[in-house]
This record gives sequence, C-alpha cells and structure tokens, in this order.
Amino acid sequence: MKLRVILAILAGKLVIFLSRILGNQGTAMPGKLSRKIYPGILSALAKNITDEIIIVTGTNGKTTTTNMIAEIIKEKGYTVVHNKAGSNMIIGITSAFIQNTNLTGTKKFNYALLETDEANVPLLLKEVKPRVVLITNFFADQLDRFGAIDYIINLIKDAVRNTDIELVLNADDPLVTHFHHETGLHCWYFGFSDTEYDNTSSTENREGRYCVFCGHELNYERYHYAQLGKFHCSACTNKNPDYNFIGHNLKMRPSIDFQVNNIRITSPYQGFYNAYNLLATVSLAKLIGIEDEIIQTALAKYQPQAGRMEKFTINGKETILILVKNPAGLNQTMATMKYYATSKNLFLALNDNAGDGRDISWIWDADVEMISDKNIAVKKVVCSGLRSGDFAVRAKYAGINPDDIIIKTPLQEGIKAVVNGPGEINYILSTYSALFETRKILTAMERENTETPKQLTAEA
Amino acid sequence: MADFIIAHMYPDLMNLYSDRGNLICLEKRLNWYGYSCEIKLVSPGDNSDYKNIDMLFMGSGSEREQGLVYQELIKKADQLKAAIDDGLPALFIAGAYQLLGNSYIDSDGTNLGGLSFFDFYTRSSKERLTGNILINTVLNEQELSVVGFENHGGRTYFEDSKVKPFGTVISGYGNNGEDKTEGIFYNNLIGTYLHGPLLPKNPSVADFFINAMALRKGIEITTKLNDDIENYAHEQIKDKILPS
Ligand SMILES: [Zn+2]
Repeated sequence: MKLRVILAILAGKLVIFLSRILGNQGTAMPGKLSRKIYPGILSALAKNITDEIIIVTGTNGKTTTTNMIAEIIKEKGYTVVHNKAGSNMIIGITSAFIQNTNLTGTKKFNYALLETDEANVPLLLKEVKPRVVLITNFFADQLDRFGAIDYIINLIKDAVRNTDIELVLNADDPLVTHFHHETGLHCWYFGFSDTEYDNTSSTENREGRYCVFCGHELNYERYHYAQLGKFHCSACTNKNPDYNFIGHNLKMRPSIDFQVNNIRITSPYQGFYNAYNLLATVSLAKLIGIEDEIIQTALAKYQPQAGRMEKFTINGKETILILVKNPAGLNQTMATMKYYATSKNLFLALNDNAGDGRDISWIWDADVEMISDKNIAVKKVVCSGLRSGDFAVRAKYAGINPDDIIIKTPLQEGIKAVVNGPGEINYILSTYSALFETRKILTAMERENTETPKQLTAEA
Repeated sequence: MADFIIAHMYPDLMNLYSDRGNLICLEKRLNWYGYSCEIKLVSPGDNSDYKNIDMLFMGSGSEREQGLVYQELIKKADQLKAAIDDGLPALFIAGAYQLLGNSYIDSDGTNLGGLSFFDFYTRSSKERLTGNILINTVLNEQELSVVGFENHGGRTYFEDSKVKPFGTVISGYGNNGEDKTEGIFYNNLIGTYLHGPLLPKNPSVADFFINAMALRKGIEITTKLNDDIENYAHEQIKDKILPS
C-alpha cells in the first residue's frame, strides 16, 4: 500500500512537472492519475494535516473567502494546503495535496483549506474529516432553475448528518439557515445588522422567497443583497438565527470598512458581496483562534485576485476588471458603479462556453436598467465575446441609446474600443471563459503605457 | 389608461426562466412605436376579465407551481379559451405551454391533467433537452427563422394532426426531439419551449404580437423600427448553430 501511495504521488508530480514545461495550467490531470493509481490517496495525504481541515462551499464567494482565509493563516505563520483558482472538484483538491506534499507523502501541514464545489462536498466528506464547513450562500446559478439547489442542499445535509462537523453559516440567507434544524450540528452564524445600503423592497431576488419549512412566503424587513437580509416567515417561526459574528458600521467609499463584533476591518475590496466574504472570513479566522491584529493586517493588505475586482491603469485611466457570472453578481457590480462620481466606459465580454453556462438568458434577470441611470453616467457600452449581440440587445432594451452601444465580438477589439471611450474610468466585465484572455490583454496594455506608474491603491 | 395592457399571468409562480425579457421587449417596442403599455400582474384569485386585456403572457414554473396554476385556471378555462378563440394574442412558455394540452404526465407517471384547449399531451422525462435551437416558422405569410434556447424535461406530442406547430426544427429538439415540431400556433397564440429572451432576439415575433394587438383595436402600425442590434444578435446565434 505504501508503495502505491508513493507511486501515485510520483505520477501526479510528474504530470504537474510536465504540464508546467508545456505551459499548461491544467489542475485536473495530476489528481485524476494519482487517484487511479491509488484511490485512497486523498485520505492518506489528509492525515498529514495537524490542526484543522476547513471546507468552504456555497454558490458565490467561495474563492474570495478561501483566498482571504489562506492569507490570514499564512500571516499567522502556519502552513496550509489550499486548492487554488477554480480547481474545486475532488480531483482538483487531490491535485493540490499532491502538489504540496513531498515524495514520500509525509510532509505535515497545519491546515487544509478546501474550496469545494457544492455538489462535491458529499464526495469529499467521504475522504477527509474536516472540523468546519463554511457555507457562504446559495444563489440561483444556471443550474438552480430546476430544483438543483434543493437537491444539492439535501445532499450536503445528508453528508454532514451524524458527524461532529461544526457549520459556519450565513444567517441572512434563508436557504442556508435551516441547516441546524435537520442536522443538529453545532452552527455558528454570521450576518449583517442594518446598513445604509439596505433596501426594504427588492425586485431582483426570487430564490429563497418561500419558507423552507412550511412553503409560505417570507417577509423581509430589509434586504442587504439579493435574498440576503432580515426575514421572517409569514406562517411559522422561521427567521434569522441569532448572530455569533455580526457585521456592523459598514461603509463602502467604495472600498470596504466595517466592524465584525468589536474588530474593525478595512479592505481594498468593494461591493456588498465582498463585505459578506470578509465577514465569513473573519468569523472563521476567529473560530480557529487567530488574533484580531493578524486578521486585520492580513485583510488590509490583501488585494483582489484576477477578475475579482482587479485594477489596471490604461492611458492614465483607472480600469477595473470584474468577473460576472450570474444576475446577482452583475447587479452588485452595477450597484458599485454608483459609488464613483465619475463617468464610465463599460465593457462586457459575454461567452456561452461550458464554464460560463450555455444559456445566457440570465442577463435578462439582472437589472441592467441601472446603467441607464444618469447618476451612474455610463458613456459607452462595448459588447464583446461570443454572445456580444445578446448583451447589446439587453443594453438597448435597458434604455441605453443604441448610438452608445458598440459591438466588437473579438476581445482585443472590444477592449481597444472601451479604453478609448469618453468616460473617465473603465469597467471591464467578463464571464469566466473570457476572463483570462481579457486579463492578458489588459496587462499587456498597461505594460505598454509605462509612462504611467501602476497604481494599486483602492481608494477612489 | 395605457394604450395597451399586457397581462403577466402568475409571475410569482411561473418565473422559472428569464422570461421577463419578453415583457420588457413588448413594452419598449410599443413605446418606440408611439404607444404606452402597461404590464398588469395577475395573481391567483384575481378575477379574469379579458375584455380590457390586449395580450396574455405566462412564463414557466416548476411542476409544483404548474399544478397550482392549473388548479387556478381550470376554474376559468371556458373564459380563457373563448378569448383565445377570439384571437387574443398570447405567449405561453414551456410549463405554461404544457398546461394547454390534454394531459401532463409527471416523472412518477401520474397524470396531472391539462386545460385541454388543444389535442396534445406532455410526458416528463429525467433527461433534459437543452441547447440552442433554430426553427423556421411562417408569420403573416412571411417565412422567417427563430432562435432561442430550450431546456425542458417534458416531451410534447400532438394527438391530432390538425394541431399546428409554431415552427419546424432546423437544429435542436423542439417538442420532443423526434418529429421536428416546435411549440403550437393557433390564431394569435404561440406556445413554445424557447425560454428566456425569445422576443428581443426575434423582433419579427415581437412585432407579430404587437400588430395583432393593434389590429384588434383597429390600429395599423406602419412605422419601421431600426432592428440592427436585434438582427445582429439573431444572426450571431444562427451562425453559432449553423456555421456557414
Ligand atoms: Zn414557515
């Protein structure tokens, strides 16, 4: 058996080495091959974690939250196995362990921090024994429209039942808060008190509007963001649970500044969804016993990752790259635009590859009408990507003057058009499969403009 | 009162897909033609008087919600059928379309019934029919292509050869993935599996409904809108489905 572990590691590491030589970013192959040679490889390597295994799952915010927690753990000086950049299936997680371990598979780490695709949580729990599972939220993605989300929620519930896992849950999401009820596990809750950004009515949300216990409509006193907010059932006792970690005094000017219980957190991130990611991160860091100062320091300097609000300077103009993949994310992105008083050029690369979801209908669920608001001051809308036409139509019916809509399907041409637009800052939005190409083009453009020094400050 | 009133039927229940794009499209185009438009939300229990309504729209819902709407509509079926026979424009998407047939057989084999307006039935299947779809149809004696996205577990079969499909499948699945029919077409009613923003990308279908609404009021619309952007989107999908 020991020999097969070593063989599995060797084979996996060889694949990692070869794909690096070939300039290949693939993260699936090493895990796949190692698991074929020794199916118990992940369980075996997980035994090298000396402190805790932490799983982060949910629809939105997994990557950002996991990256920030990793940053805090490293700031503290602990070692961590962390699967990065979209490899959140069981195979990708296996690859991360293979990459980090030594040839004999004996290297110890303090933590394993595993961003996990919702549907892969039950599989993963068969192979590793985490102390904590953090659930960020459950949102409508492409698949959710067919009851897939209920199905996945039930799968996760079944998988954690009869374990001693502790759950860290979003107390403001009615699709998450009921986990205690049927699992009986110890649950920790994070959520926001009233903020100046709340709405008392919402048009965008629809999932989670009905009580999971009795099916009656939920009444919301306030919405923080999509279906996240202060709710109670019109017919039974279902309501937000009491918070263990409460976010308050939230200010987005536009970067985030708020308090979690008595800890002040400042971060270069923007947007309410990132405030939730920060709140989840701080809650988890406190639970594993990290000191306030270390959390504060790590988060204050932690910069957004590729596409999760990354900044470039092109022709002297601030240029912001943001990944969008569903209506809630697009709405939140458009909503952050109003915190900038300057005029904007907007670019969206809309693709319909497998990684994006083949159905781009979701752009009609987003309140694109927001960008025709005079206060947001969008001067030009450049539509790019394989489905450039669809977003152009969406923008036209959202009230943008057709003369201000430019269709440039190739990304290079689209980005060129947007950075030459009349607005004072550029918002570059992209779906997943166009993100890396878009980022590459922006990086190259920024490099060409060496006369303007790169500005990394997040202050507007 | 607005020039045109479109009834959005049971949006709280039948809102599975991004169907509101169709309503945004109709409202905007009516505005661009110079008319005001009101979208009237219809909820279960609301009394249904179709006299002041110019068009009906119903989106798709899950099996459970579809059942609730069926219970509601069966009470008012005669009135609704009379309005449709009279030529009331109507667009019924996926689950709403399935309601118009004789029966809907769910995944457990239970017959959930139907409004029996038209002779067809739908059988639910686990394997979903999903993807971009291209069909040909004839509207106002003009042959045209219609593009969209379908994603349905139900397979619909006509039980009478007199039932007319909305179109012929060029690429995709349509009613059942077998007989090349897509949707139904009757007077000014279209039932279809093309969900999401059907009308914005197919402005001729949007205008079919708008002209039908107008003609019933004795109005003839002669203005032409600039549809360059809509047509670009239409052709882009067509090229994707049938690379030339
Ligand atoms: Zn209830």
